[in-house]
Amino acid sequence: MTGRFSVSNLGARYGRAVVLHDVALPALRDGEMLGILGPNASGKSTLMRRLTGEMPGPGDILLDGRTQREHGREGWRRAVAAAPQTPPAPSALMPTELMWSTARALGLALSDAELAARIEGIFDELGLGAVALSPLATLSGGKRQLVGLALALVRNPTLLLLDEPTSALDLHWRLAVLDLVRRRLRAQGGLVVAALHDLDLAARYCDRLAVLHEGRVLAAGCPAEVLTPDLLARVYRVEAEVSADPEGRPVVRALRAIDPGKGD
Amino acid sequence: MSEREATLLNRFTRIKRRRVHLAFALALGLIAVFLLDLSAGPAALGLGDIVRGLFDPGSLELRDRIILWDVRLPDALIALAVGAALGLAGVETQTILDNPLASPFTLGVSSAAVLGASVAIVLAPSIPAVPDHAILPALALLFALASGGFVLLVVRVSEGSRETVVLFGIALVFLCNALTAGFHMVAEAEAVQQIVFWTIGNLTKAGWAEVAMVFACVAVILPFSLRHVWLLTLLRGGEAHARSMGIDIARLRTMVILRSSVLAAFAVCFVGAIGFIGLVAPHLARLMFGEDHRLLVPGAALCGALVLSAASYLSKALVPGIIIPVGILTAVVGVPVLLLLLWRARRRA
Repeated sequence: MTGRFSVSNLGARYGRAVVLHDVALPALRDGEMLGILGPNASGKSTLMRRLTGEMPGPGDILLDGRTQREHGREGWRRAVAAAPQTPPAPSALMPTELMWSTARALGLALSDAELAARIEGIFDELGLGAVALSPLATLSGGKRQLVGLALALVRNPTLLLLDEPTSALDLHWRLAVLDLVRRRLRAQGGLVVAALHDLDLAARYCDRLAVLHEGRVLAAGCPAEVLTPDLLARVYRVEAEVSADPEGRPVVRALRAIDPGKGD
Repeated sequence: MSEREATLLNRFTRIKRRRVHLAFALALGLIAVFLLDLSAGPAALGLGDIVRGLFDPGSLELRDRIILWDVRLPDALIALAVGAALGLAGVETQTILDNPLASPFTLGVSSAAVLGASVAIVLAPSIPAVPDHAILPALALLFALASGGFVLLVVRVSEGSRETVVLFGIALVFLCNALTAGFHMVAEAEAVQQIVFWTIGNLTKAGWAEVAMVFACVAVILPFSLRHVWLLTLLRGGEAHARSMGIDIARLRTMVILRSSVLAAFAVCFVGAIGFIGLVAPHLARLMFGEDHRLLVPGAALCGALVLSAASYLSKALVPGIIIPVGILTAVVGVPVLLLLLWRARRRA
């Protein structure tokens, strides 16, 4: 078997508006991370919702040789966990309570002590230990986004889906979160699909990239193949220079926005 | 063990334990208020007589025994049952609609019940197999359940959108109020007074059958609510997360609104549209138990029972010899409590 995860012919629509057309993603091997790039409204979040299974539609999503349907609702829920872009709501709930109720509502087979240890370990890695028992409403947006990630991690999924996991984070945590995700892949295997805004982070942390534009995949492959000045001009409408860092990964320097009137 | 060394589990357990103790204290408070409520009334029956009469009815004189067992106990018990039903319905509705101002009443259940009561009072229809004195509660119940049915239909059609549900509920309130006002226009003065009196809410007409029905309703529904406590807690983290976990929110919303409508319908059909319990009890419970629905759900039922029991006591004790309709007191007690809570929440934020 070449890959653990592949996606082909994926479609999605809201009412009559088709938002994903025949999307195919690069196949992933164990321990790999796929970055989904694309400007706003290109279909990244919709793609994520198709992958979580919360949105129906045509297409084949294959994980470990079985389709999403063959996994069944329960099986998919066990194998796949997502951190949506919206962080957990600012309620009086404590992060620990939210983690606990998630684990129990989804029926994770862990004793109280095991569950507490797992939650504590995740909180320590994400710097949430000090706010583990504070109301979510008192946490910053960045901290709440980290709680959102923790909610996905506590389920210990085979496939981890991240929708803009670093959008509310400061520079330190942007890197720290992606480091953590990579570390987890190295240590225990598994797969990650992350929708990302930041091209350099995507190039640095992902093994494969796919670029969405108006619901279609315009380019897919390894970062150096995908991130070219031509593509950036077409998809992001910017004039950009692409150089390589010492390890050969592309580094993007956007120069200026291409005049909207003259774009395609 | 210092705070630093304590493991997360220890600290979490300590918080939970404190909340469980609080729940026990609340239950004790409820018993105390209940006894107080039993002891209040025109006839001079002291607390001692009450407690003795509860455990050994034969020890009381016949007159006192009748007062205790046929008048005061049904009134006091229906206060508990109605309060618990409204607290329970309120907390679930607020969570499922993610709206701190929601209550079963904002979904139109009580307005529909008032409309049903108005129909019964003004048209005085006779329904086969329903005795005359039961027609009013029967129609109130029927209308309340029907309004709940409409809301459920909207939940289904809108695929569980909470804005649509709240909007429709408010529209339903206006519609029922308008129709009730229509009945006011055509009704005799006496009937209008009766409608108004029913609208305010009044515990003193309950008998043992009514008590049993409301208690049975709570007893049947509570276990279903308790089965959803993890999901409801999880939902407080936001809909996006719950959906990403593959949780069928439309289905959960349908179940909760069904439960809340039935609870509220049974709660108000015998005692009238008692306001504010469904709104305030969940907030009181949230202050004590936080958002963990394992304690919040039963806690809101306890708080509802406590507030209505306290209002029932005050309705008899405030002006000796006069029973103020309890609905007036729940609002008079409820509004300051609500303001206090809002003020505290603001200060904390």
